[in-house]
Amino acid sequence: MFELLFKYSRDDYARSDLIFASEWPAALLIAIGVMAALGITLMLFIQRRRASLWQLLAVWALQLAMVAVVLVLLLQPTLQTEQLKEGENTVALVVDRSDSMAYGEPSSRFDTALASLLDASSDESLGISPLYYAFAETSTPMDSIDEAAVGGAATSFAESILAVLDDARSQSLAAVILASDGVDTAGGVSAEQLAEIGAFGVPVHTIGVGRERITDDVEFAQLVAPARALTGSTVSARVAIRHDGAGEVRVKVYDGNELLASEPVRLDENATTTTAWIDLELAKSGYRELRFDIDGGADEPEQRNNRRSTLIKVEEQQFHVLYYEGEPRWEYKFMRRALDDEGDIRLATLLRVSPNKFYRQGLESAEQLEDGFPTTRDELFGYDALIIGSIEAASLSDGQLQLVRDFVSERGGTLLMIAGPNGLGNGGWGQSEIADLLPVRLPPSTTNSFVRSKASVRLTPQGADTQMLKLAADEDDNLRTWADLPEIADYQATGSLKPAARALLDVDTEDGSYPLLVTQPFGRGNVYILATGGTWRWQMSMPLEDESHERFWRQLVRSMVSSAPPRIALSAESTAGDTSVSLRAEFRDGAYRPMDGIGVSAVVSHEDGTTWTVPLLPHAAEPGVFVADTALDASGSWYFEALAERDGDVMDTARTSLYSESGQAEYFNIRRDAAFLARLSDATGGRYFEADDLAALPDLLRYSDAGVTEAVYRPVWDAPALFVLLLLLKTGEWLLRRRWRTI
Amino acid sequence: MPIPPMPQFARKATLFAASLVTSLIAAAALAQSLDVEELFSADTHETPGEFEFVRLAYSTNRYAGPTGRRQAWQTDWPEAEHHFLKGVNRLTEVDAAENGRILTPLDMEIYDYPWLYAVEVGYWYLNDQEAARLRDYLLRGGFLMVDDFHGTFEWAAFKSSMDRVFPDRPIVDIPEGDEAFHVLYDLDHRIQIPSRMFIYSGQTWERDGFTPYWRGIYDDDGRLMVAINHNMDIGDAWEHADWPDYPENMTALAYRFGINYLIYAMTH
Repeated sequence: MFELLFKYSRDDYARSDLIFASEWPAALLIAIGVMAALGITLMLFIQRRRASLWQLLAVWALQLAMVAVVLVLLLQPTLQTEQLKEGENTVALVVDRSDSMAYGEPSSRFDTALASLLDASSDESLGISPLYYAFAETSTPMDSIDEAAVGGAATSFAESILAVLDDARSQSLAAVILASDGVDTAGGVSAEQLAEIGAFGVPVHTIGVGRERITDDVEFAQLVAPARALTGSTVSARVAIRHDGAGEVRVKVYDGNELLASEPVRLDENATTTTAWIDLELAKSGYRELRFDIDGGADEPEQRNNRRSTLIKVEEQQFHVLYYEGEPRWEYKFMRRALDDEGDIRLATLLRVSPNKFYRQGLESAEQLEDGFPTTRDELFGYDALIIGSIEAASLSDGQLQLVRDFVSERGGTLLMIAGPNGLGNGGWGQSEIADLLPVRLPPSTTNSFVRSKASVRLTPQGADTQMLKLAADEDDNLRTWADLPEIADYQATGSLKPAARALLDVDTEDGSYPLLVTQPFGRGNVYILATGGTWRWQMSMPLEDESHERFWRQLVRSMVSSAPPRIALSAESTAGDTSVSLRAEFRDGAYRPMDGIGVSAVVSHEDGTTWTVPLLPHAAEPGVFVADTALDASGSWYFEALAERDGDVMDTARTSLYSESGQAEYFNIRRDAAFLARLSDATGGRYFEADDLAALPDLLRYSDAGVTEAVYRPVWDAPALFVLLLLLKTGEWLLRRRWRTI
Repeated sequence: MPIPPMPQFARKATLFAASLVTSLIAAAALAQSLDVEELFSADTHETPGEFEFVRLAYSTNRYAGPTGRRQAWQTDWPEAEHHFLKGVNRLTEVDAAENGRILTPLDMEIYDYPWLYAVEVGYWYLNDQEAARLRDYLLRGGFLMVDDFHGTFEWAAFKSSMDRVFPDRPIVDIPEGDEAFHVLYDLDHRIQIPSRMFIYSGQTWERDGFTPYWRGIYDDDGRLMVAINHNMDIGDAWEHADWPDYPENMTALAYRFGINYLIYAMTH
């Protein structure tokens, strides 16, 4: 209808400028208009006795409108449109040839993409020359679209499109038409890369192929497991499963042929990704290649995305904890007993047994803690965690308090403060130099905040999500276990939480509820407050075989020590779909100061024996940190060893490993990512199309701003709408005057 | 005319007789005024402490004989713990309650107090249920100090019940280097601590218990669970800490034993 009335489509009007082509002088037209208006007014004035005032005004307005329409016609309105100059432009037809395009639905995505591109470029009236490209990791030009064939282990949109734009920019490129399933398996396209593509000024029109929902397929979306673990420890791996349907699958984890875990995972019908935690007990030392399998259905279109592997270095490691306590107490005894069987945790204790005597336990040498609480960084920073019990802040010198502060903020150690008659607020810690480390605002020492009265412990929602507070594997069992624990022997009021603090446990008392276990990060480390010295009742008041008390302390202390960064560390993070790795090495001395004057290199080794060396460069912002990127050209286990050298001598070494699934990426994330394709088009001024609806594409190409364009003028003075308007105005006047009997 | 000094023997005999009469009168008065129920109900605390002295009120065996209204486990009560707790608070950093408690083996409350004291255990009798409770208590982490039993006969009676508690755990001499003897005080030079009868008789032993033994029962991790003080009377030394005639060095040693056991129990 619009086009019938106005001669051209809405899009034509939208992309054009409306100009007046008449060469008549504007003053003449204005004069004609004014004279016509005066004439109409005079005529009506003469006939004023034949009609009322408002009738005269209505006729006056209608006649003036007619004059205005006639004047517009005389001005010759015209559409001015920029469009591609015939025969002088090119369009890049780009087809995704990566492995994921081979999926048949029922014809393959690749065939659909080729057909779409041919369809899009079939309008010969455009006069645009096609350029052909196929892409996977990068793009390659082709003489004919028939040369394209499926075969690419990864898909990199950014690199491929930039290569097309770079290659074709000398050939008056009017647009890029890209047909793909939209799945980037090379690490995704960053905002910076999108901006770089958009800066070329060439619209990228995308055509999406493949299904967005594949209800008969489940796949691993993510697998996160620690790179290192302690022999005999239990670690949690996080698996995310992508799915389009509800149901239940089973995740099995194998170490070689040995089944380590088999856990059912219920797929959430209201989500497309379900996350689950799998607990793994790692009894064997060494590099363990763990294979995760989803036991889905046999009729899945892609079985290979049901399997992922990871490499964990399981090793013996000794953690060191210092416990500084001001009075003999049952909590001290039972905590020591709980940690006794943890061979990798050395708990050294400094216990004030009488006013003038400290009793040392858990020593590695007779000299350890001989002079009391450490007075040097080297001595204190050798510990991974520090526990301070029922003892006054004044028992430490200003220098020692500063050391405690540095221990947390610089060394990255964990501080746990336990309640007691002389602990927390009673001990003056709220007014001490380390008060700002603490996650709570402790009451003043002038108020007794310690209460010897039994009270119940309650797991907070945040605590329920915390791995270290899992006393049972199942979530419901865990909540039940916590609810069934005996009361603790005492508690201490802690004051209000600071903004960054998280309360993991609460205590319910006769006077109300208080935070019981609170934590917050501080600098590189973490600080915990445990506002009781009475968890020992969980040991004495529960059956002998119950391990709740032991598990609580073991998991709490293990969490504390494992979050403390080691003095030397090397991490390897795979990037670009496992085709490269970012190495990050950190070297510090015994006082945890960045090592000076060292050069760092990394030996990279593949399981097949391939080895090379990569130099690591100092990080610009982080002293002591060295970084490098290197490509991984094969899947399997990779081992990395960073060497810190000074004057040719190796000062320290750090090791890590990872399992690369290079070449597997195309089997994962096989659903069409239409949102990404639309985002890509939006960022470049293009448009996203479904493969079966390309009708609007030819016009988009014709009127592209990119390439060589010319102005086209199309008159609209003869649009039927104007004449219809004239007719309506005149008819309206006639009908009114007839009704008023003024004719 | 000056009164001639009494011969030493006569002095001792007079003193012994006087103290015997005094003790009998006191015991009779106590028996008149208290029964066991009252003992338990009198066991109240206004200010709880981290350490609470718990006296084990056990059943007696047939050798205990008629004891009137005072039973074997009550021996030295309440002065022994009263004095000992003051010493603990004065000499250590342990936050000890001022008064002791009395509990039977079958009281569930014993799990709230991981330290028990049993006296005159030559006359105790633990039935199977009580033995099982005590075994469970000790294996969970509780500590038992036994004291004031003498000679072969009382040892056999003690061991008979103890064997029901731990049929498979041997009673062994506590080694010289054990932390129980060093955790606060170095107790390398140990002597037999006698009852107050030593004041009158000059004998440090009772019956055929001439030699003191410090023995114990250990758990699977080598931690002392039961400290057995045989042929000595540490409780009496605590009780009579304010008697001018009781030797100060023995009282001091008794305090040290008790404190070392306590600190050991709170640290191991």
